[in-house]
Amino acid sequence: MLRYILQRLSLLPLSLFLLSLVCFALLQLTPDDPVRRLLPDDEARLSSDDPNAYDRSYRAAAASLGYDRPAFYFTLQNAALPDTLYRIARPKERAVLRTFTLRTGNWPAVENYYRILKELAWTVRSEDRIETSTILRRLLLQEDFDRTKATIFDLKDDPTTAPLQTAFQALENTEQRANLLLPALHWHGTNNQYHAWISRLLRGDLGVSLNDRRPVTAKIGRALKWTALLNGLAILLIYLISIPTGLYMAGYRDSSFDRITTVGLFILFGIPSFWVATLLTNFFTTPAFGMDYFPSMGFGKLPEGASIWEVVRIRAAHLFLPVLCMAYPCWAYVSRHLRRSSIHELNKAYIKTARLKGLSRSAILWKHVLRNASFPIITLLASILPALLAGSVLIERIFNLPGMGQLLYDAALTRDWPVVIIVVLLNGLLTAAGLLLADLAYAFADPRVRLNGTKPSAS
Amino acid sequence: MRKKGWLRRASIAWLLGLLLVATFADFLANDRPLIAKVDGETRFPVLHEYGTALGLARPYQPIVRNWKKTETDWALWPLVPYAAGATDLKNANFKSPFDAQETGPRARHYLGTDKLGRDVLAGLVAGSRVAIFVGVGSLLISLLIGIPLGGVAGFFGNDGLRGTRARWWGRSIGGILGLLYASVSLLPFFRVENLGLTVLLLILGFLLGGWLLSLLLRLIPFFRKPTNFPADSIFLQMVELFVNIPGLVLLIALLAAINQPSLWVIVIVIGVLRWPHIARHLRAELLRIRNLPYIEAARVSGLGQWRILFYHALPNALGPLLIVSCFGLGGAILLEAFLSFLGIGVPTDEVTWGSLLRASRSRPDAWWLAVFPGLLLTFTVLAAKALGEQD
Repeated sequence: MLRYILQRLSLLPLSLFLLSLVCFALLQLTPDDPVRRLLPDDEARLSSDDPNAYDRSYRAAAASLGYDRPAFYFTLQNAALPDTLYRIARPKERAVLRTFTLRTGNWPAVENYYRILKELAWTVRSEDRIETSTILRRLLLQEDFDRTKATIFDLKDDPTTAPLQTAFQALENTEQRANLLLPALHWHGTNNQYHAWISRLLRGDLGVSLNDRRPVTAKIGRALKWTALLNGLAILLIYLISIPTGLYMAGYRDSSFDRITTVGLFILFGIPSFWVATLLTNFFTTPAFGMDYFPSMGFGKLPEGASIWEVVRIRAAHLFLPVLCMAYPCWAYVSRHLRRSSIHELNKAYIKTARLKGLSRSAILWKHVLRNASFPIITLLASILPALLAGSVLIERIFNLPGMGQLLYDAALTRDWPVVIIVVLLNGLLTAAGLLLADLAYAFADPRVRLNGTKPSAS
Repeated sequence: MRKKGWLRRASIAWLLGLLLVATFADFLANDRPLIAKVDGETRFPVLHEYGTALGLARPYQPIVRNWKKTETDWALWPLVPYAAGATDLKNANFKSPFDAQETGPRARHYLGTDKLGRDVLAGLVAGSRVAIFVGVGSLLISLLIGIPLGGVAGFFGNDGLRGTRARWWGRSIGGILGLLYASVSLLPFFRVENLGLTVLLLILGFLLGGWLLSLLLRLIPFFRKPTNFPADSIFLQMVELFVNIPGLVLLIALLAAINQPSLWVIVIVIGVLRWPHIARHLRAELLRIRNLPYIEAARVSGLGQWRILFYHALPNALGPLLIVSCFGLGGAILLEAFLSFLGIGVPTDEVTWGSLLRASRSRPDAWWLAVFPGLLLTFTVLAAKALGEQD
């Protein structure tokens, strides 16, 4: 048993590590610039008045967020690129230098050209010559080599911009494309963004939300409470209803009860729950059709000094519809599985013995069949849990409940990456843990799994 | 559940019908006539638009901007004379199918309108096109990934592929190195910007790198020993890693990160996330098939392994694969509706079943906005499930 546990546990860190890599890559690939968000608005205005000062404050902000470090432990890149490219703080500037170097293969010339361009862009005041100044500033972020070329040749003969033109000519004439053929691997050590991020996570510091500067831990803690309540109730409801249904369907196989329930469950399984939820909210929580039976928003407000009975009543009124919508697709799923495995058990010899002893049908079903047929049910929990968590995004959104799903939705729409990433990671952790627990429980209940290392084929 | 003949036939008919509607969506719901006679000239406005888009035909002169206000000698209009997303302000503000509508001589809005008078039926027709596009497209991508991986893992298992160590080590490590080299150095060197050429160059890098390293490794005696390639174990580990990814949550995060939403991104992401379903089933099927007598017979008669896999084993697994594919189709369509209901990742100008459902939430008493798209979605999902259901 211990060996099996260890064997299963060994994969968990690997998949979590991969998931963290995916999340980190997502954080890197996001198109908007978190440093810009950190800078106050009047700093952004500086960018047009005094680019030099803006550059300095930008760099300070980037350093405070740790963006002046390399992204990962190592970089594999073209040998023509310098290994300290990460020190250029602004992603757009970095992209320009990158494309130009990959185009010409001559880093010193690119660097020279860009230095001259930057100096010019900062010295030519927009009050004096508005046109040249705008062109120069646009050139700073122009990624397209050919377009830059066209713009530079269009510049009028002007003593101030002449050095720029010569630098660009030099860049074009001293193309060293052979440099591009070599790859280079740079090792940065542990002073990198990923290392800092992951060690902060492991220490329990989840960062702050970009939207309201509140710690992510607090936000998630509050949301998690409601999602746990919602999912816990849903799972309870699923098993409470589907175990008897599945058992009796198998016990009274081919009766009209079995047939009708089979068709009904099949249809239930197919109806998308977010449609049902939309219909239910439209019909029963709004006065539109005169059937305003349920409160519509959130979990309800509790009056001061409410008795337990009243708390339960208010919460139940708010939770009834969402829990129902979350539970019913899984009802069908679980009871159909249970029916199948129970029928398999009912054909076995020990059931015949029990019947010969004169046990009633209910006793056989509950005491003998359920215990043996419930193994697949254990594994189902593992596949239900992630589905419920994902499903709660929609259900919470539709019923306006402040849980994890709603948090993820809001954070994703406002691009609040620290929150999104943590929710994704947490979901991954729960999914993996659910699968692991189900496998272990299965192995515990059925020794064949431990011995062979494989599950017996699902009956 | 016993498979009833009529249920299967009905499901197939429904899915095929949906495919037809999606293909001919422009001819079913459009705000220009199919055939019209204007000033003595017979025009085919809908068909002609395809020609113009393909560059085969020039636009009609004079250009008609609004066919509804144009005097025609006679015109044959589509069944639904409204385009999805086109506003009709005379019938704005949620006209029910049974309300009085000011459509003049033209057909009513059979299934009502939304806030800006956009026709719901036309939206449903356009939505079916999006649903089929996402469903079939993502299915094709998961098949493209799943068939090779699942096929090789199931057919060869852990002991079917024999070769020297140099071959396996060289091909896997050399291939990856070659791929990296191609992407880091060769792509900028040759200034490749076109997608097709990029993929071609990457594949070339993989093959060449693998070949070169295995040639090199063959010089070392240790690598000359023949071993089995553990295809099945590697496959199972990959699936295990993928299963731990919380698909939907990651999908939401991923799609929110993209600046310009496009249906292609959704197709690719759903396809990549769902390949393990296909691959697992194919693996199980081929594990069974590879022990059948006719495969043995093919081996004895001296056919090559790969030839047996592609010509004899895989065709036999296509039937069960089709069943799983139907199931996947339903799942992908549901996922698309789910995303467009949330308004994440789907372009805002695209009318889909999910976006119609979302619109119904702002006006609960407009029941026609909620009921009809949901019914279509339910029937599609049920049809896919009825076909994919296995005993």
